[in-house]
Amino acid sequence: MAGSNTQAYFEWTRELFDRSKIFDKPEALRGIRVLELTTLVLGPTTADFLGEFGAEVVKVELPPGGDTMRYVTPEATYWKNASLGFFPENHSKYHVGIDLHSDDGKSLFKRLAARSDIMVENFRAGTLDKWGIGYRQMRDVNARLIYVADSGFGQWGPFSVGRASYDAVAQTVSGMIGITGFPERPPILCGIFIGDWFGGLMAAIAALAALHHRDRTGEGQFIDFAQSEGLIRTLDWTWVRQGLTGQDRGPSGNRDQALVPADIFPCRDGYIAIAAARDAEFKGLCRAMGEGALASDPRFATLEARQKPEHMSALLDRIRGWAAKQARAELEALGAQHGFAAVRVATAKDKHDDDHLRARGSVWEYEDPLYGKLVEQGPAPKLSETPARIKWAGKPVGWHNHEVLARLLGLTPAQIKGLEEQKVVGQWAERPGAKPPTEWDGRTRI
Amino acid sequence: MSLSSHVHEAIIPWTQFAKELCDPARVHEKPEALDDLRVLDCSSGNFAGLFASSILAEFGAEVIRVEPPTGDVARLFTPQGLKHKDSGLAYLVEARNKRHVTLNLETEEGRLLFARLARHMDVVIESAVPGQMDAWGIGYRQLSVLNPRLIYLGLSTHGQFGPRASRPIPDYDITDQALSGVPYVTGEPEGQGPPDSSAPTKQGNWMAWYVGGAFGAFAVLAALHWRWQSGRGQFIDLSPGEAEMRFSDAGVIWYHAAQRIQERVGGLHIQVFPYTLIRSKDSYSFIAGFSDVNFTGLTNIMGKPELKEPFATTKDRILKARQLHQELEKWSAELTSDEILDRVQDYMLNKRGPGTVATAKLNRPEDTLAEPHWWERGVFQKVEDADYGELLLQAPPWKMSATPPRIKWACRPVGADNQFVYLKYLGLGAERLQALKSAGIL
Repeated sequence: MAGSNTQAYFEWTRELFDRSKIFDKPEALRGIRVLELTTLVLGPTTADFLGEFGAEVVKVELPPGGDTMRYVTPEATYWKNASLGFFPENHSKYHVGIDLHSDDGKSLFKRLAARSDIMVENFRAGTLDKWGIGYRQMRDVNARLIYVADSGFGQWGPFSVGRASYDAVAQTVSGMIGITGFPERPPILCGIFIGDWFGGLMAAIAALAALHHRDRTGEGQFIDFAQSEGLIRTLDWTWVRQGLTGQDRGPSGNRDQALVPADIFPCRDGYIAIAAARDAEFKGLCRAMGEGALASDPRFATLEARQKPEHMSALLDRIRGWAAKQARAELEALGAQHGFAAVRVATAKDKHDDDHLRARGSVWEYEDPLYGKLVEQGPAPKLSETPARIKWAGKPVGWHNHEVLARLLGLTPAQIKGLEEQKVVGQWAERPGAKPPTEWDGRTRI
Repeated sequence: MSLSSHVHEAIIPWTQFAKELCDPARVHEKPEALDDLRVLDCSSGNFAGLFASSILAEFGAEVIRVEPPTGDVARLFTPQGLKHKDSGLAYLVEARNKRHVTLNLETEEGRLLFARLARHMDVVIESAVPGQMDAWGIGYRQLSVLNPRLIYLGLSTHGQFGPRASRPIPDYDITDQALSGVPYVTGEPEGQGPPDSSAPTKQGNWMAWYVGGAFGAFAVLAALHWRWQSGRGQFIDLSPGEAEMRFSDAGVIWYHAAQRIQERVGGLHIQVFPYTLIRSKDSYSFIAGFSDVNFTGLTNIMGKPELKEPFATTKDRILKARQLHQELEKWSAELTSDEILDRVQDYMLNKRGPGTVATAKLNRPEDTLAEPHWWERGVFQKVEDADYGELLLQAPPWKMSATPPRIKWACRPVGADNQFVYLKYLGLGAERLQALKSAGIL
C-alpha cells in the first residue's frame, strides 16, 4: 500500500463518516413506525435497533409500574430516579401507558397497531392471543403489519408451553454455557445479557427482511423468534463436529481451538487478546517476540501444525511468558507494526475514556432534556448516507401519552383525561425506576 | 384464504395455529424475502463476513463467495486440524446457499474482473485491512462510481475512520471480544480459583464474529430499505468488536453515572438475583426469581418461606448474593436438575402461588441435541449436500409465515461455480476461463 494513498483514504473516510454531520443526513427507516409491547431486554432491543436507524418507536407499558427493566439496575442503585439498566435498550422512544387488561385499553392498542408497520411483543406463547391483541386479531386490523413475537422457546413445541425464560435460560439450554469457561471449574454466566441482545438483533433482522418483502408485495407477516435458538445458531462448529464425529464440545478456556495462536494473556497492566492465525501474521508475532526462529519450527510453521493440541499448548506458553512482561499499549503497537492482532481487554473506563470510540460514536455522549449529560454505548454500524443516531434517553412510564394519543389517534385532551380517570391510560408510579427525576419542573415533556 | 380455513384458524389453539402458520415442513413452498438481492462476499478468514452473507443467503439472496485460487483461509479454521473432505469444519457451517468462485485480487486483471462483477451486485462484503481495497482500486470509492446503488459492507476491528483506523491489524473474534469489554465482566474474579482461570473469560464460541455478522446483515437491510426509497447505495463501516460492545448492558453508563467499573462475579449477577447457576445432585441448573414477587415464588417452591425476610428487597438479594447462593445450593444439592425443573413447572402450570420462576438444566451441546423440542421446531437440520454428504447444521432460527428462511445446500468446493458465475455475469466461456486460470488470475 502506498503511504500517500492510504493517507488520502483516511482523510476521505473521516469526512464521509464525520460524527458531527450525522444529524444533517437522512434516516434509513424514516416513516416506519414500531409498536412495542415488551419488557426487560429482548423485546426492547428489537425495537431499539430499528429506532437507531430512524423508525419511530411507540413503547406501550402497563401503568403505573411499566417495564420490569425499570427495576433492574447495577447493585439496585437508581440514578436520577431512573434504572441504569433501562437506558441502553430504550432510546428515542415515545412512552405510552395503557392498561391492556381493560377492553378500552385493548381497543386503543389495536388502533395504534392499525397505524404501525411493525409490532414487537415478548410475552409467553399465546398470552396476547388470549388477551385478544395477538397476531390472529392484529392481521385483521392491519394486513401490512409485520408482527414479531420474541420469546425464550418459541410459539410452539414442548418447551413453549408455560415455561418462563430469560437471557440466561437461553445461555443454559443452547449449550453456550456448556462450551464457555475453563475445564474443571464451575460454569459461569456471560457478564452481559448476551442472549437478549443478540436475540433482539436477530429479531430486528427478520423484521427488516419482512419489510423488504412488504416493500415488494404489500404483504405483512408473522415472525416467531426464540432467543435460545438465536444462541444455538452462534455456536459455530459445535454441531457439525458432533454430527460428523460424535464428539461433544466442552469448555476450553480462552484459547481458540481452531485459530492458533488466539488467546487472552495477562500482561503488566491488565489483559491482552492476541491472535495471529495466518502464517504471515504468525511470523510477524515471532519477530515482535524476538523469536524469529519459532516461525520456521516445524511444530509451528503452519496453521495446521499449530492446531495440534500439544503444539498449541507449547506455543501459547511461550507467548504467555513474553506478554507478561509487556504493557497493553506496547503489545497493541507491536501488533500494528508487525501485522498481528493485539487488543486490550477493555474495562468500562477504557471504553468511556477512549477518544477513538468517541470519534466513531461507538461511545456516544449526548444531552437529554430530562437527564442532562449521558454517555453510553452508541450505535454499532456506521452508515455513510443514513447514519444511526441517539436522540433522547428513555423516559418515565406514560411520558408521551398526550403527544402520541393526540397525534396518532386524534384524541382530545378531554378524552385523554377521561381515559386517565377510568385508569385505561396512565403514567408512572411514584417510585424510583418509573418516575421522573426530583429536579423535573413538572411541566416540560420533551 | 377460504372462509372455512379462516374459521378453522380462528378456533384452534394458539400453539397449533402458530405451528401451522410457520410449519418448517412447508418452508420450501413459500417465497423468499430477498430473492432479488445479489451479494459478493470477498471476506477473508472472517466469520463475521461469512455469517453476514449466510443470513442474506438464508433469506434468499444470491451470494457469491470470492476466494483466492487456493481457497479462503477460513476453510482452514478448524478444531485440532480436523477436516471433512477438503474443508475445515467451521466453513461447512457458513457456506450455506452460496456460490463459490475463485479470483486472485493480488493481480491487476483479477481486480478488473472483481469490479466488473460488482457492477451487477447489490451488496459487497469485505474484511480487508482498511484502505487495502481502496488502494487496489476496488474499494467503495471506486465501485460506487460504477454502481451508485451498491451497498458496501467493510468489516474491521478498529473501523474505517477514527484515530486507530489506520492500524493495519487483521480482524479476529478474540480481539473483537476483548475490544467489546465483555470478557472483562465474564468469568471468576481474582482469588476465586486458580490464577489461570480467575481471569477475563471469552465466550467459548466466536461470539463477536457472530454479533458482527448479524449487525452487518442488519445494516445492509436498513440500507436496502433506504435504497428502495432513494435509489442510492452507501458505505457501511462495521467493527465486530464495537458491535458486541453495543450489547454491554449498563457498562459505560454506570461508569458515567457513578464512576463504577463493572467487575467479574462468576455465576452471580450484579443487576438481578437470584439469577444464577446452582449445583444440583447431578449437574448444574440456572434459576431465576429476582423481583420481589418472583422471589416469593421461588421461596415457595423451595419450601423455605423463612428466606423471604432476610432477603426482602432487590438490593438485599444483590448485595448478599453469595449468602443467598449458598442457601439455594443447600436446597438444590438434594435434587437433580430435572427434579428442579419439575418442581418449578408444577408451581407455574398449576398456579400454586404468585411469581414467575425460570429454570433450566445446564446443557452440554449433546444434551441440547437430545431434546425433541429443537428438532420439532427445525432448529437443527441434517442437510444432504451434493458435495459434502450429510451434515448436521444449525438452521436459520426464524420462523416466518410468508417468507421463511431456509437451507438449500451446505457448501461447495473452491471454485465450484466459476463456470456458472462468470458465464452468467461476464459472458466468459470455458476457454477464456482456462486461460485466466493458467495465468493465475482465477
